[in-house]
Amino acid sequence: MQGTKVVRPFPFFRAGARASQPQLSKPILTLEDVYKFFRPDQPTLRGVNLSVERGEFAFITGPSGAGKSTLLKLIYRELTVDEGRVLFCGRDIGRLTDKSIPFLRRNLGIVFQDFRIIDHWTVYENVAVALEILSMPQRLVRSRVAEALERVGLAGRGVERTSNLSGGEKQRVAVARAIVPEPALILADEPTGNLDPHLAIDILTLFEEINSTGTTVLFATHDHSLISKRDHRLISIDEGRVIEAQKGLKQWPGSGIHTLVG
Amino acid sequence: MDLKSAMTRARRGLREERRLYIVAVTSLAVAFLCLGATLLGVTNLDAAATRWGQSGRITLFLKDDADTQDIAQLRVVLEGLADVSDVAHVTPDQARASFLEEADVGADLSSLPSEVIPASLEVTLVQGVTRERSESIATRLAQFRAVSDVESYRSWFQKLDHLLWGARMLAVGLAVLVVFCVVAVIGNTIRLAVARRRQEIEVMKLCGATNGFVRGPFVLEGMFQGFASALLAVLALLVGYLALHESVDGTLAALTGSRVVFLSIWTLVALLAGGALIGAIGSAVSVRRYLSV
Repeated sequence: MQGTKVVRPFPFFRAGARASQPQLSKPILTLEDVYKFFRPDQPTLRGVNLSVERGEFAFITGPSGAGKSTLLKLIYRELTVDEGRVLFCGRDIGRLTDKSIPFLRRNLGIVFQDFRIIDHWTVYENVAVALEILSMPQRLVRSRVAEALERVGLAGRGVERTSNLSGGEKQRVAVARAIVPEPALILADEPTGNLDPHLAIDILTLFEEINSTGTTVLFATHDHSLISKRDHRLISIDEGRVIEAQKGLKQWPGSGIHTLVG
Repeated sequence: MDLKSAMTRARRGLREERRLYIVAVTSLAVAFLCLGATLLGVTNLDAAATRWGQSGRITLFLKDDADTQDIAQLRVVLEGLADVSDVAHVTPDQARASFLEEADVGADLSSLPSEVIPASLEVTLVQGVTRERSESIATRLAQFRAVSDVESYRSWFQKLDHLLWGARMLAVGLAVLVVFCVVAVIGNTIRLAVARRRQEIEVMKLCGATNGFVRGPFVLEGMFQGFASALLAVLALLVGYLALHESVDGTLAALTGSRVVFLSIWTLVALLAGGALIGAIGSAVSVRRYLSV
């Protein structure tokens, strides 16, 4: 029996390694005919083809249960594809061994709707954990964390316990944790889902600022008020299939926002 | 695994879960104390056996009507044997005095007549004489006319050997039991700690932490628990030893001729290192199943 080829940790995915020129010239993310089944007769994703270039900002939208989170989970390898390929910087991440997955995730920043920050830790500790994993010297960790907190508007609040922060501030801590290792790609899974509309715009603007420094951002949301305010690329998932528009709702085919979010 | 980072996180874990860990360490200290007490018993039995084995004594009880010339002749023969280092003649009066000094039976024995205790020759053998050789000498000496009975302490040795074997088996059994206890208690404690810190583990894994990075602090915490429990037990044992050894010493000296000894430094090191090692293993085993996030 011929087994599946085992992919060893890519040098590019190891901490401190730099991508080569050919890797940099490829799209940062490519999905090729991706299928994901949770029930044999009903695929959550069916034949998804997608290409995301470096430095792009793209909304991923669709009704609840459409497969937005599943798509992101395939990228950070919480789930594996059943058919097709997910290529990160030209490498098939579906074939990574379990030991290689941490090295993939070190190149990604992930933000969730429920923040996933540790309430009994301080703001500093919550952000620093992403660098401690890389065995970075404490002096460097301190300066990088301070810089990240400044970028998200929490400068000087490192000593505060996160349990004392508001929802919007907690999400800013989560964003700081995601950007502090300077990842190539940020995956935001409904990051504004628990926030009021005003804070949601603030968080979206924060992601756009991060994107303006060259970081690729995939922003999953079903909040049409957010999507309608921006002209970013729009990737809609419905019944497992993908429909795209390069300039947001302005170029959206059909009857507008209702076809996107159901 | 970055040891410094793991130690920092383990310190934080110990601080956050201190109540849970105090309960676990106390329970394990009791288990270690049982093991330590048994080892202390074995060590003292061993010391007594060694002392007796090395002393190589034979007592020749003399007949009441034994002729002085026969006794002198017997002494000459004994002193001529290469295996004998010393021969002492103990008169009934000397034997009575010695008995009254050493025996603590809780009754007044001052009226005990000296005639009830026979005169004897206390034969001390040279170092290294085997028990078989001692038996053979005793058998030959029993044939002398002046000798009424010979005591080679064979039955004592046999009893002591049996006792020592039983104690050793008890210690081995207890050691196995303690290993299971430590693995189970530390395993469950760490499992509880892992469950409470599941979100931390999840966050670390999503940030790209390897299994070694996540496992590190838990293994150190388990190691600390094992070490602390063993240390607590050793300290409790030492306090008990210091408090009781003077009062026990006299009785033991009268019974076995040896004094109470504490555990050797190597036994103490083995207890502490063993506690730490078993704690680390128990912790590593229990945390393994929670690493797939």
